[in-house]
Amino acid sequence: MEAILELMGKLGINGSVFLTQVATFFILLGLLYLFAYKPVMRMLDERSQRIKESMEQTEYIKEQAAHAEEEVKKKIEDASKEGQEVIARAVRTGEEVRQQAQQEARQEAESLINRARSEIQRERDDAIDELRTEFADLTIQAAEKVIDRSLDKEAHRQLIEKTLEESATLKKG
Amino acid sequence: MPRRGILIGFSAIVGLLTILGLIVGSLGQGIFGDIGLPDWLTVPEPHITVPADVVFHIFGLPITNSIIAAWITVVFLVVLSFVFTRRMKIVPGRLQAAFEFLLGWLYDLCCSVAGEKDGRRFFPIVTTIFLFVGFNAWLGLIPGYGSITIETHEHAVHLIRSANTDINTPLAIAIVAVFFIQFFGLRTLGRHYMVKFVNMGGFFHGLGQVLRGKIGAGISALVAGVIEAFVGFIELVLQFIPIISFTFRLFGNMTAGEILLLVVAFLIPFIMAVPFYGLELLIGFIQAIIFGGLTLVFLVLAVASHDEAQEH
Repeated sequence: MEAILELMGKLGINGSVFLTQVATFFILLGLLYLFAYKPVMRMLDERSQRIKESMEQTEYIKEQAAHAEEEVKKKIEDASKEGQEVIARAVRTGEEVRQQAQQEARQEAESLINRARSEIQRERDDAIDELRTEFADLTIQAAEKVIDRSLDKEAHRQLIEKTLEESATLKKG
Repeated sequence: MPRRGILIGFSAIVGLLTILGLIVGSLGQGIFGDIGLPDWLTVPEPHITVPADVVFHIFGLPITNSIIAAWITVVFLVVLSFVFTRRMKIVPGRLQAAFEFLLGWLYDLCCSVAGEKDGRRFFPIVTTIFLFVGFNAWLGLIPGYGSITIETHEHAVHLIRSANTDINTPLAIAIVAVFFIQFFGLRTLGRHYMVKFVNMGGFFHGLGQVLRGKIGAGISALVAGVIEAFVGFIELVLQFIPIISFTFRLFGNMTAGEILLLVVAFLIPFIMAVPFYGLELLIGFIQAIIFGGLTLVFLVLAVASHDEAQEH
């Protein structure tokens, strides 16, 4: 035991110096905790928090941008589709209008032709009637002149009419 | 070219000093004999004392030169941290970034060894040990340490002496480290921490079996219990071995370094000591990282639960 104590003395182990150094170490620990570790840790934590936050924000913004881009794309697609539809509709309408106009024109023309045809028919009928009347009168006059006597005008007319009717029927038939 | 001129001038000075050191130093005097050098050029024989010298007393407490050196380290570190952390900014300046880099490096080391949660708890103690040991060593290389003498009423003593070279300082740090190791172990594991060392469960179990008449099984359980108790005792002793290894590793390295520098400066003064100063800078760093790192490892071992330790 004494040998150990002597050795410790030779090495310079000294109770009060040792305790002073222990106290020094604890003082250093306390002061460094106060002035170095606490603020630095807080700062490091805060910084890592900030970085985390800003990275999250970046991620969020990126997502948002992608979302917006997609939306815009979709909108453009929709618009182009709509535009195409409008064009198609316009083309269809134009076609319809054209066809309608064509049809109308054709109808008009047809009706015009029909009218003209009926007019011509009527005119012809009139002309035939007139011709017939005149022809009957002429025939009567001619016959009067031939037999030089007044024929029973009425009776003759009826006769001629009948003949003409027959001929007309024949002709038509 | 001015740069080349500076280089040549510098080399010439270095060469001259080397030659002068060879002549003036003890080695040169041994070879060439006394060639009548002026007194101020000869280097006195170094006087090495293992115990630190008492410079003065405060309230009867002896204040040794190593205590003064330790206080200088404390003041240096505290002022440094105060200056660097006084106006902390989220985007750091150069000084703040350097300081944060040092602490952040140690913090990452703690976290990588002990995990995020424990690393945070161990960080202050490990870092303080690292900084105290490291800066005691590095500041000890500054001129003035071990060269300024002061007259006390007994004899002339050095005013400041590198704190690590006084065995009381490594011993104090080692005991504080072991104290924290036991403290964290107890606080984390509670009763289970004690079971590591006082493991009598198997023994009493075997004893109970013997008393109940199961002699065969009882005796084997008894033997296993005795072995377990003995292993626990060894574990307990092992907890205090680091005090000795920590103390003498640091004390030995630092004292040897100091003596090496003194001897080199005595044999060949001036330039030849410079590489050894570089070596001592490196050794100071290594000792600091060993002391802090081993403390960290022991802390991790102390808070690892017994079951978990068996699993690994």
